[in-house]
Amino acid sequence: MKDDVIFTPLQFKNLSVKNRIFRSNIAGRFDNYDGSGSYARINWEEKFARGGVGTIISSYVPVAIRGRILPNYATIDKDETIPFWRELGKRVHQYDCKYILQLSHSGRQQDMGGVENQMRKALSSTSTTEPFMGFLCQAMTRDEIKQTIQFFADGARRARDAGLDGVELHSANGYLFTQFLSSAINDRKDEYGGSLENRARFLLDVIRAIRKEVGYDFHLQFKISAVEHANAVFFWGRRGNTIEDSKQVCKWAEEAGADAVHVSTGSTFPHPLNPPGGFPVEEAIKTYDTMLSSGINTLFIYMSMRLSLLRPMFRWFWNHSKGTRIEGINEDDAKAIKQVVNIPVICTGGFQTASHIRGIIEGGYCDGVSIARSLIANNDLVKIWESGQDLPDKPCTYCNKCLVNALENPLGCYDVSRYDGDYDRMMRDVMSVFHPSPFAEIASSTSSARGD
Amino acid sequence: MGERANVTPVEEGSRIRAGRIETIIVVVLFLAGTYLFWSFNPNAPVDYVKIEDHFKYGSIGSDVDLGIPYWIWKVLPDVFADKLPGEGYESLGFVQEPGHDTPIGFSKRRVGLDRVGLNCAVCHTGTVRDTPDSQRRIYPGMPANTMNLQAYYRFLFDCVRDGRFTGDNILTAIEARKRLNMVDRFFYRTAVAQVREGVIEQSSKIMDFMKRNPDWGPGRVDTFNPYKAIQFNWPMDTEETVGTADLPSIWNQKPREGMQLHWDGNNDSVEERNKSAALGAGVTPPTLDLRRLKRIEEWLWDQLKAPPYPYEINQGLADQGEVLFRQHCYECHAFGGEKIGKVVPIDEIKTDPHRLDSFTYELAENQNTLYAGYEYRFNRFRKTNGYANAPLDGVWLRAPYLHNGSVPTLRELLEPPENRTKLFYRGYDVYDRKNVGFISGVPAEGNRQYFKYDTALPGNGNWGHLYGIGLTPQEKDALVEYMKKL
Repeated sequence: MKDDVIFTPLQFKNLSVKNRIFRSNIAGRFDNYDGSGSYARINWEEKFARGGVGTIISSYVPVAIRGRILPNYATIDKDETIPFWRELGKRVHQYDCKYILQLSHSGRQQDMGGVENQMRKALSSTSTTEPFMGFLCQAMTRDEIKQTIQFFADGARRARDAGLDGVELHSANGYLFTQFLSSAINDRKDEYGGSLENRARFLLDVIRAIRKEVGYDFHLQFKISAVEHANAVFFWGRRGNTIEDSKQVCKWAEEAGADAVHVSTGSTFPHPLNPPGGFPVEEAIKTYDTMLSSGINTLFIYMSMRLSLLRPMFRWFWNHSKGTRIEGINEDDAKAIKQVVNIPVICTGGFQTASHIRGIIEGGYCDGVSIARSLIANNDLVKIWESGQDLPDKPCTYCNKCLVNALENPLGCYDVSRYDGDYDRMMRDVMSVFHPSPFAEIASSTSSARGD
Repeated sequence: MGERANVTPVEEGSRIRAGRIETIIVVVLFLAGTYLFWSFNPNAPVDYVKIEDHFKYGSIGSDVDLGIPYWIWKVLPDVFADKLPGEGYESLGFVQEPGHDTPIGFSKRRVGLDRVGLNCAVCHTGTVRDTPDSQRRIYPGMPANTMNLQAYYRFLFDCVRDGRFTGDNILTAIEARKRLNMVDRFFYRTAVAQVREGVIEQSSKIMDFMKRNPDWGPGRVDTFNPYKAIQFNWPMDTEETVGTADLPSIWNQKPREGMQLHWDGNNDSVEERNKSAALGAGVTPPTLDLRRLKRIEEWLWDQLKAPPYPYEINQGLADQGEVLFRQHCYECHAFGGEKIGKVVPIDEIKTDPHRLDSFTYELAENQNTLYAGYEYRFNRFRKTNGYANAPLDGVWLRAPYLHNGSVPTLRELLEPPENRTKLFYRGYDVYDRKNVGFISGVPAEGNRQYFKYDTALPGNGNWGHLYGIGLTPQEKDALVEYMKKL
């Protein structure tokens, strides 16, 4: 096992991690409405730390309420949030697991802005309505850009103050950074739009601002959709950034002060290629309704999912451009980027087989892999590999039911076939995130003090 | 202002979008609705201002249920020219007037598609020529002396059973005359199948007995046997299935009220007789167009009179004839006569009994169930034992004579049966001024074959009605001369 590259530490400039497995960004709506964190999130992250991953990259953490994607996601928009993150970091560190906080801003890809944002449009690089859900937005002014850059810098400072091990910029998957980077979305006429250099300016400004705020000795990585495939659903649209564009962006980001790059794909989230595996429409009917009223395509989305006559059309649009590859779907892009940068490359996309991961790390595709769904299915996946098993007995089926359930229900594995059809057992697993409850601990300590 | 301030941007955007979508939906629905309304405006018959045109071309409702889509009907003679004795529907003896898209007796009504049906005039409008080269004069209300209804039915039956009666063929034929849009094409293609089904259903009921029986020929119809088959679904294997009768004139109905109507006098209500005849033309109780039928009935009641004899009359001879008429005919055949409109027992009149026998007690009972549920449900049908004495107004236009049209002229009717013509031709409309009737010895004219009437066939007997046969030839001539004036 000592020779297994998966379990070889990875050394970043400012961070050393015990193995090559990163828990990728994922979380449910576990927290309080206003973005103050809850014990359930700490329980959630602890599951993976206990399971043996070397690093957890938090889920989407908004640097401002205006940039949230959903309510009930813990934020880092003010200093009062620091104690929560500190507590979370402590819990994770108990397992020799590092914690990287993902600094995020939704831009126009705001699934549910929440009541705080109801009276205003989302901020974006553009004023063009998001095409799928019909999210409204307005192009940021220079002042707003400047302010947002500072939000990120402040977020990084808070993460460092909280004792976390680093931050990641969520500059992939259609959120605000993508909206600036993408040639398919960014239609600005100022220095933040037009050429690739201009489109990358916002990301690079943020990196530089964070460096200015926290210095160069704090781990900072960024995530990128190496290829945007922006016309994957609406084939008549523009295709967005290519791998060549992204290679250049990565080089610039490295120069600006990034310590690592996390490679993903797709101009939106979800996207036919991310997370790979398909869109469970029947399951989505139960939960997608919660965000229908966020955009102006309500009727279109509702009918295309609900009407059995239109559902094949929806499926065709969603599936027509995707291939059959799931595990390692982004590894070729990661390799292309790794060849042009001198910082470690982390690759995401359906990883679940130890031998596959070993092969691509040894093959120079990337330095580590990040995993979300396979770890939800088997929290102890790393330990399973450690025991010599290549693939777990009940592997993730990539059904993506976890993805669509996350909108309304506690995040967990919702593929009952993995539980031999035992729905109650599956529910126990899903609800385990609420245990232990700190109130139970308080109650028991109080009763022992009373001598009950 | 306070209310507006609570509207979120998404609500505002959705409202604008919903407004646009609603506008588009309303406009599309309006355009589609307008198009469909004008294309398929249901149940809109073609109406005519002039009553004579309404009689000849107006609808009585037969075009609703059993109407054939106009364009399919129109192209049948194109596609199936081989099934017609000559060119077009005229070759079946229908009368085509210039400027009309159907012959007399066909109405048009839009029920989804334009459809054609039959009306009163199909059997009750005839023609007269002075000489073979003369123009035809059209007489509304006169028996349709040239029109072969049975041949028309057979033509329809044959067309729909022919392998060429397909959607493709019919649409191609229609499009040779008229451009169809996509919607029309769809509906006409569907209609072809419906017509096939409808006509086969009707024909299967009456084909068999029609095949067994002597042909009707022009100017004649089997009035009541089709009722048995079509209205009552009776098996047509009984002996009383020959009931062919001559078409009557229908003018001047008012003085006929209360008389025993139909050849056998089986009904004494003009109104009921009219509605019964409408059923024969293809109306069904729910589709009867009461308002338009009423317009015709009012016209026939006291406005349409028998047309006067257009040729010269020897007044002196007619005066002698009038005396003889009063002596020999008046009692039975003149308004005011004691026996007018009454049935003379078959034993006494001794004419061919088939028509009388075809109307059975059972049928009379069943006829009285027709229009059940309507205030005008039939109740005046009775079985009789002879033939009724008909008024003779316009008798000069009502040849051939007797109920079955078996005696070509009035003059011949005054001859004893053995001297009456055994074989003659019907359908020819050149007038025989000497004998009063139509010239009946012409088998063909150009391409047109006339119908050979054989008095030896069942139902075609020319015997009976022996009144006046003992008069001298001069007296007979005088009597006929007088009858031109009736």
